Amino acid sequence: MKTLLKTAILSSALALGAGFAGPAAAQDDSIYIPNLSYRTGPFAATGTPLMNGQRDYITLLNERDGGLNGVKLVYDECETGYNTEKGVECYEKTKANAVVTQPWSTGITLQVLPKSNVDEIPILAPGYGFSPMADGKVFQWAYNPPSSYWDGASMILNNLSDGNLDNLKGKKIALLHLDHPFGKEPIPLLEALAAKHGFTFLPIPVGLTEMQNQSAQWLQIRRERPDFVVMWGWGAMNAGAITEAVKTKYPMDQFVGVWWSGHDGDLKLVGEAGKGYRSISWSVPNSESPLMQDIKKHVVDAGKSLINQGEGEFDSVFYQRGLMISAILVEGIKEAQEQFDVRAPSPEQLRWGLENINLDEARLKELGAEGMLVPFKTSCADHTGHGGGWMLQWDGAKFVKASDLLMPDRTEIEPLEAAKAKEYADANAPWPINEECSM
Amino acid sequence: MFYPTAGQFKTSYQADHALFPVRQDAILLGVIAVLAFVVFPLTANEFTFRALLIPVLIYSLAALGLNILTGYAGQLSLGTGAFMGVGAYACYKLVSIFPEMNIVVAIALSGFFSAAIGVIFGLPSLRIKGFYLAIATLAAQFFLVWLFQKWGWLYNYNASGAIQVPNIDLFGITVAGPRATAVAQYYFVLCTVCVITLFAINITRGRIGRMWKAVRDMDIAAELVGINLMRAKLTAFFVSSYIVGIAGALFVFLWRGAAEANLFDIPLSFRVLFIAIIGGLGSVLGNYLGAILIVALPVIISTVPEAFGLPIGSATVEHLNVMIIGALIITFLIVEPHGLARFWAVIREKFILWPFPH
Repeated sequence: MKTLLKTAILSSALALGAGFAGPAAAQDDSIYIPNLSYRTGPFAATGTPLMNGQRDYITLLNERDGGLNGVKLVYDECETGYNTEKGVECYEKTKANAVVTQPWSTGITLQVLPKSNVDEIPILAPGYGFSPMADGKVFQWAYNPPSSYWDGASMILNNLSDGNLDNLKGKKIALLHLDHPFGKEPIPLLEALAAKHGFTFLPIPVGLTEMQNQSAQWLQIRRERPDFVVMWGWGAMNAGAITEAVKTKYPMDQFVGVWWSGHDGDLKLVGEAGKGYRSISWSVPNSESPLMQDIKKHVVDAGKSLINQGEGEFDSVFYQRGLMISAILVEGIKEAQEQFDVRAPSPEQLRWGLENINLDEARLKELGAEGMLVPFKTSCADHTGHGGGWMLQWDGAKFVKASDLLMPDRTEIEPLEAAKAKEYADANAPWPINEECSM
Repeated sequence: MFYPTAGQFKTSYQADHALFPVRQDAILLGVIAVLAFVVFPLTANEFTFRALLIPVLIYSLAALGLNILTGYAGQLSLGTGAFMGVGAYACYKLVSIFPEMNIVVAIALSGFFSAAIGVIFGLPSLRIKGFYLAIATLAAQFFLVWLFQKWGWLYNYNASGAIQVPNIDLFGITVAGPRATAVAQYYFVLCTVCVITLFAINITRGRIGRMWKAVRDMDIAAELVGINLMRAKLTAFFVSSYIVGIAGALFVFLWRGAAEANLFDIPLSFRVLFIAIIGGLGSVLGNYLGAILIVALPVIISTVPEAFGLPIGSATVEHLNVMIIGALIITFLIVEPHGLARFWAVIREKFILWPFPH
C-alpha cells in the first residue's frame, strides 16, 4: 500500500509538471507542420497510407533538398483516431507553434473552423471539410483545394449523365453515405440538383456502428433498384459497402465513390469482382514519375518511410494522394517565403501563400508530378481552386484513369455555396467578412 | 500524521452534523479550492484548460448525476450519454429561439428538459430492476440518439447535422462560442460544478438521500418502513437527469463548441459509467477522482514522450495509452473494489490512526 501510494504521488507530480510545462519553443530555422493523423481506430486502414504519404513528402524535401529553401520542415503527428474530441485536444496541443492546421476529418474541421478567426492559423483541408469553405471572403482562414465535396458530387453527376444533367430525368440515384458530417456534405447540393433536373435522390445513411454490416442498407438498395449508387464512405465503411455490393451482385459500373472511397485495399478484398467500380479523384497514382522515383530513392529505399512495401502501398492511390496533399501545403509555404522574404513564414503569411497557390501543369512538371494532381489556382476569394478531377476505375488489380479531366458545374454550386457561407457567418455572428477580395 | 483528530470535540448536534466534522477535511478542501480558483488559472495554458481542467470538471458533473441514480438510489442506467444530449440540444434550441436569454438561465432550464425525459424513461424502474432496467435505459439511449439525427428542427436543419455554439456573452464577457477565452469558460464551469456539487452533497445527506439509500439497499424493506418507492425512484431519476442534462449543456456550450448526434452515443454513456464505477458508487468525491483517472490521465500520458524527447510515434503512444489506462483501472479495482473514493477513505483512516495503527 505504501509503495503504491508513493508511486501514485510521484506519478501525479510528474504528470502535473508535464501538463503545465507546455510545448517546447519554436526554433527559428524550422517550420513546424503538425498533422492530426489517425493511424488507430476504425478509420486507420484508409488514414495510414495518407499519413505515410504526407510524412514521406516532407522527409523527401528534408533529405534531398535540405528542407524548403534551406529551412527544415518539422513534420509532427498527433493521433486523433478520427475522434473529434481527441482532434480538438490535438489542435490545442499543437497550435502554439503551428503554421497550419490539418484537421483530417470533417467533424474536426467543423470544430476548429469557428476558432480559425480567433487563433489565426490557416486550416488546410484538401478535398474534405465544409464545402462552402471555398468562399474565401467568409472563410478567411480555411482552404479545401483542389476540389470541394460539392464539386465532387457535381463531377460525378456530370459523368453519369454524359455531361447533361437533364439526361438523368426519371432516374433514381442513391447516396450511400456515412452518417457523420462528412457523409452528409453532398446532400444539400444533390437535393437541389434532383429538384431541378427531375431525378429521384435517395439518401441511405450508414451509422458509425453499422459500417461493417450494411446488409440493411443493401437490402434497401436491392428493393429500390436505383440506377446509380454514389458512395460517400470512409474507413471500414468502404470495404463493407464494396463487399456487400459484390454479394448482392449490384452492377459495379453503376457504383461510383467519392475520392475517399477509392482505396486500393478495399477493392483488393474483392479483386476481379470489383471490376468496373469507379471513384472520382483529383489525384492519380503514377509510380514512374520523377517525383515517385525520388521518393523511392531518398525515402523508401533509405528506410525512412513507414509504408508497407509488401502490400504495394507505394503504388496505391491514397499514399500518392498523401504526397500530393503535402505538396499543396509546401507550395503554399514556398509562396509565402518568396512573397515576404522570410525563412519561416508566420501563420498570417502562410495564409497569403495558400491564397496564391498556382499549381499549373508547368509547376507540377517541375515538381516531377505531372498528371498526378489536377492543376489549380487559388485566390483570395476562391479557397478551393476548383481543379476538377478524373474518374479512376478499378480494373481488377489497380485503379486506372478512366476519363478526361472532369469539371464541376460551378454555376449550379456557387449560389448554394454563397447561401450556406452566409448562413454560417450569420449563425456565428460576429463573423468577420473580408470585403477586400474581389471575385 | 496529517490528521490528528484528538481534541476536536463536538458539543452540539449542529457541529456533529456539519459538512466537515474533521477540521483537516475543511483545510484540505480549502487548499483544493485555492488551487482550482487561483493557482490553476494563473499557471495553466490554453491546452491545459481545454484538454484537462474543463473536461475533467464536466465529466465529473455527468458522473455525479449518474452516481445519484446508480450509486445512491441503486438504479442502473446506460442512458447517460443520451440524457446529456437532451440537455445540450435543449440548451441549443433555447439559445437559438431566445437569443437574449442569459446563458445561465438557458443552461439551468435545459436541465429540466432532460429531467423530464429522464423521469419518462425512469417509469419502467417501478416494475423492473437491475440488469433489466439497464436494458430499458439502453433503449432510451438508442431512441434519443436516433431522434437527434432524424429530427432536423433540433439542429436548425443544418446541412452537416451538427449543432454549432454561437458567441454568447455573460455580463460583457464571452463565455461560449469560438471567441470565448479558456479562462472564462473554466471559471464558468468551475462555479457551476461547485454549486451543483454542494447541492448534491446536501441532498444525499438529507432525508431524500436516505430515502434513496434505503431503496438501494433493499427496496422491499424500504417500502415496509413507509417509503414511497415510486416517489423515491422518480425523484432519483429527476435529480440525476437534471444534473446530467446540465453536464451535457456545459459539455457542448462551454467545451466542445460544436457537436453532432453521434457524440452522445453509447461510448459516452459507458465512459461516464466507468468514471462513476472506478471513482466509487455512492460517493461524491469519487466522481472527481474517476474523471481524473479516465479523462485527464490519457491526456497527460500522451504528453510524456514529447516532454522527455522520447522518439515514439503518436500512434504508438495512443496504443500504449490504452494499455496503461486499462492496466491502471484493473489495478485500482483489485486494490480497492469499491473505487477510488474508498481508496482515499482508507488512506485517510490510516493518517488519522498514525502512528498507532491497530
